[in-house]
Amino acid sequence: MSGGPAVRVSIESSCEKQVQEVSLDGVETYVPPLSMSQSLARLAQRIDFNQSDDSNDEDVSSSDAQWRQEQEEEEGVVRFQPSLWPWDSVRTALRGALTEMCVLHDVLAVVKEKKYMALDPVSQDSATAKVPQVLQLVSKKRALAQAGSVLLRGAERLSRSVCETAESRRQRDFNSELLRLRSQWKLRKVGDKILGDLSYRSAGSLFPHHGTFEVIKNTDLDLDKKIPEDYCPLSVQIPSDLQGTAYIKVSIQKTAPDIGDLGTVNLFRRQPKTRAGALQWNVCLEAAQNVLLCKEILAQLSREAVQLKSQVPHIVVKNHIISQPFPGLQLSISLCHSTGEKKNQRSPAENKPDDHLYVLEHNLHQLIREFHKQTLTSMVMPHPASAPLGQKRLRLAGPMAYDKSAIANLQSNEGLLEKIIKQAKHIFLRSRTARTIDSLACRVEDPQIQAHWSNINDVYESSVKVLITSQGYEQICKSIQLQLNIGVEQIRVVHRDGRVITLSHQEQELQDFMLSQMSQHQVHAVQQLAKVMGWHVLSFSNHVGLGAVENIGNASALTVASPNGEHAISVRNGPEQGCRVLVQRVRGGGGGGGGAGGVCVSGGGEVVQDLRWAQLRGGYREVNWSRMEGRNFIYKMELLMAALTPCP
Amino acid sequence: MGFTCVCQVPVAEGKSVQQTVDMLHKKLEQLGAIKHGSFWVDCETYHATGNTSGQPTKLLYVMHNSETPLSCMALFEGGPALTADVNFDVLMLKLKSHFQNAKGHKVESRGTRYRYCDFLVKVGAVTMSSSARGISVEVEYCACVVPGDCWNLMKEFLQSFLGANVPELPSVFATKPEGLYAPSDCIDTMTQYLELFSKVRKQQVIPGGGSVR
Amino acid sequence: MEAPPVTVMPVTGGAINMMEYLLQGSVLDQALDSLLHRLRGLCDNIEPDTFADHELVYLLKGQQGQPFLLRARRSLAHPAAPWHLRYLGQPEVGDKSRHALVRNCVDVAASHSLPDFLNEMGFRMDHEFVAKGHVFRKGAMKVVVSKLSRVLVPGNTDNTEQLSLSSLVELSVLAPAGQDTMSEDMRSFAEQLKPLVHLEKIDPKKHT
Repeated sequence: MSGGPAVRVSIESSCEKQVQEVSLDGVETYVPPLSMSQSLARLAQRIDFNQSDDSNDEDVSSSDAQWRQEQEEEEGVVRFQPSLWPWDSVRTALRGALTEMCVLHDVLAVVKEKKYMALDPVSQDSATAKVPQVLQLVSKKRALAQAGSVLLRGAERLSRSVCETAESRRQRDFNSELLRLRSQWKLRKVGDKILGDLSYRSAGSLFPHHGTFEVIKNTDLDLDKKIPEDYCPLSVQIPSDLQGTAYIKVSIQKTAPDIGDLGTVNLFRRQPKTRAGALQWNVCLEAAQNVLLCKEILAQLSREAVQLKSQVPHIVVKNHIISQPFPGLQLSISLCHSTGEKKNQRSPAENKPDDHLYVLEHNLHQLIREFHKQTLTSMVMPHPASAPLGQKRLRLAGPMAYDKSAIANLQSNEGLLEKIIKQAKHIFLRSRTARTIDSLACRVEDPQIQAHWSNINDVYESSVKVLITSQGYEQICKSIQLQLNIGVEQIRVVHRDGRVITLSHQEQELQDFMLSQMSQHQVHAVQQLAKVMGWHVLSFSNHVGLGAVENIGNASALTVASPNGEHAISVRNGPEQGCRVLVQRVRGGGGGGGGAGGVCVSGGGEVVQDLRWAQLRGGYREVNWSRMEGRNFIYKMELLMAALTPCP
Repeated sequence: MGFTCVCQVPVAEGKSVQQTVDMLHKKLEQLGAIKHGSFWVDCETYHATGNTSGQPTKLLYVMHNSETPLSCMALFEGGPALTADVNFDVLMLKLKSHFQNAKGHKVESRGTRYRYCDFLVKVGAVTMSSSARGISVEVEYCACVVPGDCWNLMKEFLQSFLGANVPELPSVFATKPEGLYAPSDCIDTMTQYLELFSKVRKQQVIPGGGSVR
Repeated sequence: MEAPPVTVMPVTGGAINMMEYLLQGSVLDQALDSLLHRLRGLCDNIEPDTFADHELVYLLKGQQGQPFLLRARRSLAHPAAPWHLRYLGQPEVGDKSRHALVRNCVDVAASHSLPDFLNEMGFRMDHEFVAKGHVFRKGAMKVVVSKLSRVLVPGNTDNTEQLSLSSLVELSVLAPAGQDTMSEDMRSFAEQLKPLVHLEKIDPKKHT
């Protein structure tokens, strides 16, 4: 409570006498001057005691009211005519002031005692504690100044760091983001929109899809809230048909599921998790561009599939192109486009080990890019500059008098589909050749087959070197070395001696050929062995015209004679009928080796006894081959030869 | 394009053009040549209209060959020759106030192509104003472009089915400033045809010739 | 009879009625770089190409009427490239609203014997010049920015003198007759080159 209103009461009479009336003759009649008390009363009445201090208005009025009630009781007489008593208001005011002073005094007293009441510095009326706080104030001020300087220093450091983050935030703001977008994508301004170009048109694509995306400013962000980690002031809107992810799936199916492994490792791209803080728009745009490219590939393939004439027409169904490279074989190329929401709809079939031909999928992408490049490079500027635009090489055709075949070469443009079908054929042929050779190698233990595949191959051609050997005799029996050049439609076999045999894509042909080669190998191996053992080759034939007819190839045969000429071994080996070994001995020979090693060689009944006929050859006896000892044919043969060779 | 020799084969005694052509076909087939489509060579004649200086007008020949379907050959007899694209025909239309097409003079040779190893043989019936006038035989040795290197081989091959009608070395090669060892080109072939056509044009109409086909 | 009637021209594949749509303008050498820059941005994404050509203009004077004019052009930068022989007809009067000059045009690619051959045909060379510059394309449109030089010694293309301090800019399209939408495309393209160069329909007759 402040003290009573500080009112300066100045009492003066401004004018002694007031003119009441000026008569016509100029005589002024004055109002009789107020008496001292009268004028004091009048002036005092003008004072509004309540207006002195605004803040205490209510208190005053309330205390007024209180006081009035008291007064009513005390001075009932004057109550009904307060206006009649001129000092009434003054008295009221003064009395109020007194009351308040008293209260103040009491309060101060109570406060001073500190027994009942303490003044809290929070309270606004610090006036009460003013005097003792002056000193405190000075000390507080100093302390505050120190604290303030610490705070200021901290604030400075903070503001510096805030400056830095603001800097980085500014870098992430729309314009700089736009600049970064601009450095990677083609943008242009249309009206008040910013449109970008996803298409490969500038790279030579002729795909009619407009491929535009819109750049949107991401400004509806509450500045007070914490900015999310992956906030980006720029976002892109991609046409609905390019959203999601897509890929081209190429697979080869066969009615019977024995197609074997075609190099289908499961390396399906899981959509890489977007790294936090990575450029979202870039991920979006690249995905959309990929969708666009896949669509273009499919569109191109479908167009070619419709135009291309083949014996078995290509089928185009929606996103699916089916072609038949070989009878009973189906090449299917399809566009798999999944928009984000459909993830759950993955059919269980897709979870099976997928039969993607990744090589072909990759090659399709490569081919379409080559196609793009071709459209760019074929459009070279004319020279001289006045000449019409057009293909350079066709421009030369007239004046250079190109003939039909040269022009056809210029125009021949093998389509994407043709190329990919050729590649698929080759891949299929290669894998089946590998399988055929492997299964033969497993099935037939003697002789052995080794296949050496070349690591480097063309998309349309690869080669394998096939060696047929006998275990343990690799060094001496190197008779059969085959080079198989696997092409698109056929396999060319180059023999070691330069013969070239062309096999079709039929699996059986290769198998039969290999079997006949293996049977020939055995006879060749015996021939080599005979040389090493010192035996003489009497006759040799790869294709014997006698005996039972083989279903596959021909039987081959060999006759060798022992070093001293006493014995002869005849071998006949056919791919199907297997081997027959016969031994002949000289009539007159003592049959020294007879019976050795379980061989039943016995001389027949001799009619001619003359010694000069002794060198004539006798009859043939067949060796029971299956009962011969030895781990393989050639080893058995070696044992036989050893048995028939007389000891020196 | 290899070295090409064009020659005229006289119509056999008592035979029509077509019969002689059939005979040649038979001979070629006996040799082992394989039929390989058809061919045609044509020749238009133009003469300049506005000949101010009284010198004799030179004739301009515009020729086409089915072997070079995008080209058009323009020649002056014994003068320079031009190989151009087919738009040259359109240009000649524009030039018709200066060069008039002698319409009755169009000559062409049509017939069958035969392939025999590296040789390409074209036997054609030469027609002028739809009347058969003679027989042309063109032989191309595709493996060589230098006439001097393969003329003897060519001659031997020609002998095998033309017998005594083997021509001499075409003058177009003999008179070349670079000699016999300059590569031949399509103009050389067309020059030979042009010579053949002008010979045919001058010659009398064969009584039994008639229309071909 | 398989052969066509002799009266018919054996036009095997020639484009009979091709029209050239043309807009022309010129640009001062100072502004050339910025024009090229803009063209590089506007035109198709092909390696910018320069050219150096030698053009010979031949006249064939007949007994009556106007002389027949042919332009033969060869590339100095690519000496092996065929010559280009060109016939240009009179500009079509046509309707005034068309934005481009339209004239008949025959383009012939020819072997290197062309000058001799034209001489033999009776053509005489009227004048020759060397044009060097840049060529751009935008779809079917071709933009040629060339600097023309006079040949001082006939036939010697090394000894030349520039004709002016500005370059000729030509925007042209080749199309079969009646494709007037072309001129609309050309106009909108020309708009984009303003104010660097004002491409207009210039009738050569009014300047002779």
